[in-house]
Amino acid sequence: MKKWLKFLLMAGGVSLLVGLALLYWIFNKPHRDVSKEKGIQLTSQQLFDAFRKDEAVANGLYLDKAIELSGTVADVSTNQEGQKVVNFSTDDPFFTINCTFKTDPGNLQPGDSIVFKGICTGYIPDASVVINEGVLVK
Amino acid sequence: MKYSITICLTIFALLCFHPLIAQKTFGTRNGQIIFQSPTDLDVKAINNEVSSRLSDNGSLSFSLLIKSFRFKMAEMQDHFNTEYLHSNQYPRGDFKGTIANIKTVHFNLDGNYPVEVNGELTLHGVTKKVSTKGNISIKNGKPLAKASFPILVKDFGIKAEDVTEKVTITVSCQYQ
Repeated sequence: MKKWLKFLLMAGGVSLLVGLALLYWIFNKPHRDVSKEKGIQLTSQQLFDAFRKDEAVANGLYLDKAIELSGTVADVSTNQEGQKVVNFSTDDPFFTINCTFKTDPGNLQPGDSIVFKGICTGYIPDASVVINEGVLVK
Repeated sequence: MKYSITICLTIFALLCFHPLIAQKTFGTRNGQIIFQSPTDLDVKAINNEVSSRLSDNGSLSFSLLIKSFRFKMAEMQDHFNTEYLHSNQYPRGDFKGTIANIKTVHFNLDGNYPVEVNGELTLHGVTKKVSTKGNISIKNGKPLAKASFPILVKDFGIKAEDVTEKVTITVSCQYQ
């Protein structure tokens, strides 16, 4: 086989393998697993106060970060995908920290003190700070 | 003295009979909105943390966080946030509108009520007027609102033509 043809075939083969590996990685890249991350420890009130005071600063500190939140469960519900959701109360009766579990935390009741770890996705004025993809720490 | 009593009575009457006082508002912090490409079923993002308020006077609002959208594929989710929706710069999407035929919806009577919604949708920092048909079903006094409508991504300054030109927005909110 001619030398240039051999080189061309090898280059083509390597490009194909790299392309396939890239596609495999794109389709199988795992989602973040917050249970393996160290969370920023806060109470629900501290998180709310930070966003109430200055949303831009709070976004810089907490957006997309793993947050380990301790607080009192105000209410427990299930969203339309069957995931459990807890709202943590704050000193504003109209404002909560809205936390969605990705794994079932078991039986939770309003009034329970829990520690929840999840990813902060931001602040909705007059409604909530949202944390999702969460797990129950204790 | 007479004037003072008259003024007090007038204010009291206004407060009692003002429509805002009688208005009933339903809310949720966990409504669902889905963004779906009509041409590629893999391009689908679900947000289960939509905050919404619906009043029996017809006002309707939705607010969501772009980072709350979840894709099946993590890589697609990263691209959605960083390259298309720029969620650090534009963290929220909002809709504020009214139900044109709210008088046909009987919030105290279980049933299905077709509705026409008009309002303004803000996405990626761009606000556009949108109109759609939807449905409100009342069960045990609690409304469930559903609607589905298409948008063109370029109308909102989103450069995603390489993925999809249109996105269907599907709303499903169970109010408390």
